[in-house]
Amino acid sequence: MMDSLYLAWRYLVYNKKKTFILVCCITIIAALPLALEVLLNESERQLALRAKSSPLLIGAKGSALDLVMNSLYFGDEVPETITMAATDQVMDTGLAAPIPLYVRFKSRGFPIVGTTLDYFDFRSLELAQGDMFTMLGQCIIGAEVARELALKPGDFVVSSPETLFDIAGVYPLKMKITGVLAPSHNADDLAVFADIQTAWVIQGLGHGHKDVTRTTDSSVILKKEESNVTANAKLMQYTEITKDNIDSFHLHGDAINFPLTAVLALPYDEKAGTILQGRYLEKEMPYQIVRPKEVIDTLMANIFKIRNVLDAVILFVGSATLLALVLVFSLSLRLREREIDVIFKLGCSRATIVKLLGAELFIIILISAGVCAGLLAFVHYYDQSLVRSLFI
Amino acid sequence: MDRLKAEDLKKMISIQSLTFSYPSGEFRLDIEKLSVASGDKVAFVGPSGSGKTTLLNLVAGILPPQKGSIKVDNDEINSLGDSSRRNFRITNIGFIFQDFGLLDYLDVRDNILHPYRITDALKLNSDIRGRADMLAEQMGIADKLQRHPSDLSHGERQRVAICRALLPEPKLILADEATGNLDPNNKAHILELLFQSVEDHGATLLAVTHDHELLPHFDNVINFSDFLQGETT
Amino acid sequence: MRSNRSAPILLMFVILMFTLPLKVSAGEKLTIYTVNYPLTYFAERIGGDHVKVILPAPADVDPAFWEPDDDIVRQYQKADLIILNGAGYAKWTRKVSLPMLRMVDTSRAFKDDLVHIQTNVTHSHGPGGDHSHGGTAFTTWLDFSQATMQAEAIYRALVRKLPAQKQIFSENFEELRGDLQELDKQLAAIGERLARVPFFASHPIYQYLARRYNMNIKMMMWEPNEDPDDNEWQHLQEISQEHTARWMIWEGEPLSVSMEKLKNMGINSIVYAPCMNRPENGDFLSVMQANIQNLRKAYQ
Repeated sequence: MMDSLYLAWRYLVYNKKKTFILVCCITIIAALPLALEVLLNESERQLALRAKSSPLLIGAKGSALDLVMNSLYFGDEVPETITMAATDQVMDTGLAAPIPLYVRFKSRGFPIVGTTLDYFDFRSLELAQGDMFTMLGQCIIGAEVARELALKPGDFVVSSPETLFDIAGVYPLKMKITGVLAPSHNADDLAVFADIQTAWVIQGLGHGHKDVTRTTDSSVILKKEESNVTANAKLMQYTEITKDNIDSFHLHGDAINFPLTAVLALPYDEKAGTILQGRYLEKEMPYQIVRPKEVIDTLMANIFKIRNVLDAVILFVGSATLLALVLVFSLSLRLREREIDVIFKLGCSRATIVKLLGAELFIIILISAGVCAGLLAFVHYYDQSLVRSLFI
Repeated sequence: MDRLKAEDLKKMISIQSLTFSYPSGEFRLDIEKLSVASGDKVAFVGPSGSGKTTLLNLVAGILPPQKGSIKVDNDEINSLGDSSRRNFRITNIGFIFQDFGLLDYLDVRDNILHPYRITDALKLNSDIRGRADMLAEQMGIADKLQRHPSDLSHGERQRVAICRALLPEPKLILADEATGNLDPNNKAHILELLFQSVEDHGATLLAVTHDHELLPHFDNVINFSDFLQGETT
Repeated sequence: MRSNRSAPILLMFVILMFTLPLKVSAGEKLTIYTVNYPLTYFAERIGGDHVKVILPAPADVDPAFWEPDDDIVRQYQKADLIILNGAGYAKWTRKVSLPMLRMVDTSRAFKDDLVHIQTNVTHSHGPGGDHSHGGTAFTTWLDFSQATMQAEAIYRALVRKLPAQKQIFSENFEELRGDLQELDKQLAAIGERLARVPFFASHPIYQYLARRYNMNIKMMMWEPNEDPDDNEWQHLQEISQEHTARWMIWEGEPLSVSMEKLKNMGINSIVYAPCMNRPENGDFLSVMQANIQNLRKAYQ
């Protein structure tokens, strides 16, 4: 047996390229479905865990999936907005504690989550560096944001304008980073968190500028009356909120009418949650209420169907690849006809010839199994971050 | 089957009333009587397709005759079983091929030792390895042991093949166009080496050749044209 | 003969076993941060031993216009409850980030009844710099019915946080409510006696007092520790032509020179302290009772 393995090994080493290709093919056929299984299971787990921990979500009527994906996973699809009044409405029911969310803007590709400090208590998020933001215009960042952008407390991020040409709308706000969250291995690692009012300032619903009633620069004044001063477009608005200019920052209008993308409702108990859900089922209610777990379960069921299709495709492709490998092997045998003839003439039995060729196959499969195991170990070890970067 | 002792043999090969044809039926070899004395160097000549290589395969026990007997040292090869014939072949017969029959993926040393790795009838040990190195020294290829056949010249490859054939100390060497792929200078040299080795080992040589210039070096020449006409020598 | 030393030790152990749980639960105190003294007082009265109430504003600063630094804001962020007055009191709370679910807006129940002020005139006093009383009137507790609602909001918040102590909180709240209702009753009676009697007030902080108790008050922009300038005296003169008040209500003890000048105009001074910060002596109740007593002078 050892002689057969030795001869097989020498053959494979001599034909490195062919051996490498064969090993790669077999490894891919074996590892791909298994790796996919690991990643899909992990994505299912992550999605389900996040959804399970978020009892109820209130948002505008429309796609429940968009609402859940935007609110829980900070997805790019921004649902129709509701107003801050929805938060008061939940508060007034006495059935649940509301946490407002406004997830619309981005900073260097990462979502800016406008919310209240209660969000961090709810998600049990701890700070790894620095402190919580205290003032409007400040923010804290997730662990992955800090790592990818090499940021730390004291640095700044700037909100990205939504479009190049909407100069009267969303404009860049420079926000000071006061803290970095500890890794939580979910969407919170990839977000920039700011006070809900800061998000409204980014939108342009609030701003800061020099006091026009006291300015000495008359070129910024359009009209001055006894009870009102109108400034023109020359009046520069502050793009950063500091201790020196924060007093000038003000919101235009009643905050109760300001936009949110969702309200997380935390019922005080199961019964309160059911009653609350019932209230939002009334036709005249302008909002919808969803249980994220149910939405994600439906999504998972669909993904499961797609997974079956994927498995079938992989099986088909794998079978085709195996057939191709068999063809390669048999063609290789044909090329080695002379070699087989020689060793047969030398006195080698047919059984030994089969053993020799079998040893080659055995070694290839063994190496492939080793590489496959290594790959799977790698995927398993990094499954959380792979799922976050690839799927969620 | 045990290893044969040279001093016990007078006739190495004895063929009687041999008839052989391939399944396609296009070729037929009839030999009434043929014998080769022990230690002789015999050349097989004749036109292509006259059965020279076929006879080598019959003597080696690779092909079974339809009729007649083939005795290699009084042992009827054609009456042995498959396994016994193989073992007999690998322990008593050395093969040298026109295209050398070396394995590119083994180095020279492993090529020489190859027969010992493909059968349980031969045991590879340190003595055998030592003998292989000695044979390589005799053939002038001791410095090439780590190289692969593709790195060698034709003449060097044939020397490796001769070493492989001689390593089990066979009593019968079958050479099928051993010098066929060599240039004129190498032919003579290789033949000289082959003859010397055969003599040194007290072996019998059957060599198929198309090269009539080499015939004077042989003890006997058998012309297969005669068999085509139905005559024997 | 067996030693009797083990008996007292055993007895002590048993006593500790029964008292320790009480000590542990008594030690489970809620940390409450407030924005003014009346709310501090209400929280302390209702919460009792189960709360630790903190008003970080320095004693010599008006909490309505005080602004905390980052460290103090972080203390607020970590509190179990943050009691806010509402009605625009402590504008700094709108510029910082505080946990909404731990905030209690004590005037939410009567937010539709708040008094809105039409002026945007700024003024400055003390180290706080310029500020304005424009917007919404915020001394909501001077209307004792509103003060009761504010106390009730605190009570409900405490019960939500420590439901196990509901009975104690309830008893304490009822006691406080009784006190506030008594004050309300007394002031209502005074208000009846003083119906349509014109008053001046040194500072625009008596809107709820005036509304609840039917008092006719015109408010100045004076400080008790500053003598008004000539323009302000002139302004008073002009107003007093139509608003013939004989009493000036001060938020704190005025300067004798100011009192003298007023006396010369036929206007007497009484103190009605809003008690925004912790008093040097007494507590909210005693200060309000003193206020009521001072107000009685107007008809005695």
